[in-house]
Amino acid sequence: MSPVIILARKEAGELVFSPRGIAWLLTTSAALSVFALLLVGSTELSLLDNAEVVYDMAGLVTALGALLAIVVGNDSIAGERERGSLIPLLLTPMSSRALVTGKIGGLAVAWVLMLLIALPYFWAVGSTGQNLITGIVGVGFLGTPVVLGFGLFALGLAPRLSASRSSLIAALIALLVSSSPLLIGASLRQSAVGRVFDAINPFSAAANAFDAVIIDSEPLSAQAGRLGLTIIWLAITAWFALSGVRHLTR
Amino acid sequence: MLVEIRALSLTLGYQSILHDVSLTLGAGEIYGLIGPNGAGKSTTIAAALGLRKRDGGSIRIFDKDPNVDAAAIHARCGVLPEQNGFYDWMTAGNYLAFFARLYGQDRRRGDILDLLAQVGLELRVNQAIGTFSRGMRQRLGLARALVGNPELLILDEPTNGLDPHGRREIHDLLISLARRGMGILLCTHLIDDVDRLCNRIGIISQGCTIVEGNLKDLLESRNRGTQFRLRLTGPLPQGQRTLSHVAIVSRQDEWVEVNLAPGIAAADAWRELLITGWPIAEVHAAATGLEGLYFDLIEEKAP
Repeated sequence: MSPVIILARKEAGELVFSPRGIAWLLTTSAALSVFALLLVGSTELSLLDNAEVVYDMAGLVTALGALLAIVVGNDSIAGERERGSLIPLLLTPMSSRALVTGKIGGLAVAWVLMLLIALPYFWAVGSTGQNLITGIVGVGFLGTPVVLGFGLFALGLAPRLSASRSSLIAALIALLVSSSPLLIGASLRQSAVGRVFDAINPFSAAANAFDAVIIDSEPLSAQAGRLGLTIIWLAITAWFALSGVRHLTR
Repeated sequence: MLVEIRALSLTLGYQSILHDVSLTLGAGEIYGLIGPNGAGKSTTIAAALGLRKRDGGSIRIFDKDPNVDAAAIHARCGVLPEQNGFYDWMTAGNYLAFFARLYGQDRRRGDILDLLAQVGLELRVNQAIGTFSRGMRQRLGLARALVGNPELLILDEPTNGLDPHGRREIHDLLISLARRGMGILLCTHLIDDVDRLCNRIGIISQGCTIVEGNLKDLLESRNRGTQFRLRLTGPLPQGQRTLSHVAIVSRQDEWVEVNLAPGIAAADAWRELLITGWPIAEVHAAATGLEGLYFDLIEEKAP
């Protein structure tokens, strides 16, 4: 079996069996529960139409997925380095590039788990309308490159910075800035700077595509440009993560 | 030669860590690399394994350059590093099976049990590593180093955290591995470990190899007769600073280090000194053997 697969399986096992991984997944699940309860139980939010609710859920799952990917990506390099378990891995015959690729496999598993956890919540808030499948497929196509990109960004940042906390904070700030379309008002997004930022921001691309396919019922195939932007983001962050290999032994 | 390091120099950031480190290790040898804290022992190991890039000198492990063929070297080399972390959520058996797969070996449960038995952990195969004591972790680290059937074992402080019984077991294991032809590079502060296990040593201080060679030869070359440390309660009597059978080696405050001439019984020497008016309060045997050699050389090197 390839060392990449062996390592990816170990990473997946860590997420499911270690107290740390279980805590992350439970926290994610709790956040989705609170949000779903708000959408269903709050008098004002329950007046939103079904498409709006699914759109909100798609944005939240993508943002939470990116957050989880950053935490997992950072911990799999910087956390292991601080716990002293990275050096024994580097001393096996596996190449450093294979090591990082295996860690990327672990990130993919984390995102798949996150999607599986999110499915019942999607169903809970969107099962009464026509947008449930569109929302899930949209998150699968457009959310995946955005989420994995943030994980890869954290994976590339961790070997370059000396402390786990530094790399985690830097990656979280990047996520906060990138996900600002979910946080700031529509008028700010319509300003000149907001428009430029929207045009290059992968998170904006995903959010705008969710808006188009879930709320405006446009076909997914019409979102090729936005999907392209998220793929470019994924490619850049993959290069960033793999080029961090030479910093692994610092 | 399994390991051949010549005039190794290495800089971290702007600080020069190694200036001139050399060592050679052949199959079946146990080599003790000793030196004070910060001397550069662990950095030498990191450079030898390709984890640090050298500035100058040469390193050949299995006749390969670690900065070029690190993976090939790692495949034939078992390492217990200074930073020895584990996956606490795994059991000892699963942990070793995971590392065995990374070495391309499909170890069966029986093989894993045998490996754990070598380090005295066979009853802990299903126990989570998170519940292990420090000594048990050290043993597990040693089992991990052996998982790939290495030809060369590099161990950084292998007996750290072990009780005397555990230390003896690990000593016996290392001796038996060396008899089977494995080369072992032992990096430690414990001179007792080196004295008991090693047939070759290298002492490094401030990033330089001070001495390197066969332990027995080195000890014989530095044999200076019997040395003692005396604590005096007052000054030496006038005119008695040189004696026929006792040579003063050094004096610091109330302590005097003396060498007895060969064939002179210590009791006779003390009697003679007391009669001539030496105010002796205490007598201690000065460090001899490897410990004496180590302190002599480190003090000679000190600025």
